[in-house]
Amino acid sequence: MLEFQSIQQRGFHNTYDEKGNITGFEFKFTPKYYKGLWFTQCRFGNVKVDGKVYDRDSLTYVYNGLDYTREEMFDTEKYWQFRTAITVKVPCEGGLSVGYHDVVMDFGWVLNYNGALEAEADGSGMGNMAHMFGVENKRRMLLCR
Amino acid sequence: MGIEKGRPRRGITFYSYHNLMGRCMTLEDCFEEAYDTGATCFELLTSYIDNYPNPSSEWIDKYWGLCEKYNLRPSELGHWAENHLRRGPAMTDEEVVEELKTDFKLAHMLGFTSLRTKITCTNFMCDPEPGWQSYIEKALPWAEKYDVMMQNEVHLPTTLHTPHIRDEYLDFIKRTGTSHFGFNIDFGTFQFKQPEGFGPIVMSDYKDITKPEEIVDFLPYSRSCHTKFVNINENFEEETIPYREVIQLMIDNGWSGDLLSEYEGPIRFFAEESFENFGKAMEIIPDQVRRHQIMMKNILGY
Repeated sequence: MLEFQSIQQRGFHNTYDEKGNITGFEFKFTPKYYKGLWFTQCRFGNVKVDGKVYDRDSLTYVYNGLDYTREEMFDTEKYWQFRTAITVKVPCEGGLSVGYHDVVMDFGWVLNYNGALEAEADGSGMGNMAHMFGVENKRRMLLCR
Repeated sequence: MGIEKGRPRRGITFYSYHNLMGRCMTLEDCFEEAYDTGATCFELLTSYIDNYPNPSSEWIDKYWGLCEKYNLRPSELGHWAENHLRRGPAMTDEEVVEELKTDFKLAHMLGFTSLRTKITCTNFMCDPEPGWQSYIEKALPWAEKYDVMMQNEVHLPTTLHTPHIRDEYLDFIKRTGTSHFGFNIDFGTFQFKQPEGFGPIVMSDYKDITKPEEIVDFLPYSRSCHTKFVNINENFEEETIPYREVIQLMIDNGWSGDLLSEYEGPIRFFAEESFENFGKAMEIIPDQVRRHQIMMKNILGY
């Protein structure tokens, strides 16, 4: 079962390599919207933790056990099922410290609803639904390891 | 000789529960809520089909099991005629038709006879993107084969006299003579004043709304409608939409389609913002749907 927030605390932890070195951190995300989306409709933005920006093109998105870059998702015919989380892996030397962190993730999408067609049809923008639902998702979360 | 009176069915679109679904409500919980109200039919969105667009045979069996257990019949499947799924130019007609065919087949397999088909719109008034007729016409033989009616939703602030409704959609129906394209008339189009609780979110200025009698011309082209509501008071009344008048017109004109309770109160925009709001959503949403069903029963008499 999902937590009701877009950014999930369950699944928030540092990531480790085989030798036990911290490689970064990860968390799970699910859009708050009322329907699922094709990967190609998704417009992922940057992640910010305690004000530090992690560029969207440095992130890895894990869905059903497979890794995707933001760019790869534009060429993948895959439906992101409703109320299913995607894992966002953030490379970050040393990871995050144990304690509370303010995590922000921007996410928009393209849909054929009641609004102008996407202005940036190259996918560089945040879609065409931001006027109704915004793009910013944020949550203060406790990291244990 | 007068027209035989219609007998619309009372139903619920499970979209009403979307803030709660997958968090504290399962699909079965939606069925159980509906059963409690005495509703007899329901709407799903394609997204609520597990592993859409390829549900497993186990899921399909489970789905029909739920229909039987809770004595509910499929009414409408909400889906999208997306034609901008890739960056750059729009998809070809053939690609859109393939997408529609997938949903028609699913609808047929799951027992739906009507669809809420969202055609690409380019502004807040829902004016369709030019050229929609081309792919929808090519999809008509498939809609006939799977016996589903694609219905364009007429949704606030669009009215039944907004030019594209007659000039494009009705013209298309008359030109092609199809019985597989029509309208889901969302009752929000009759809303005559701003409901409370929306804060800065403005859906309409309510200066130009659909008058109840306008619905009559469109009833032959509709199998199901969204009975939209934003607040049902403790006396089981919706104070911003002339429900009794519209439904009486439908009955008097022989309409026996499905009326699907669609809750769209302001909490849907704010439910995820805080524990307090989500708690309110958990209480308000099922309560409002139940109140609406009582109101519908009071109006219909069954």
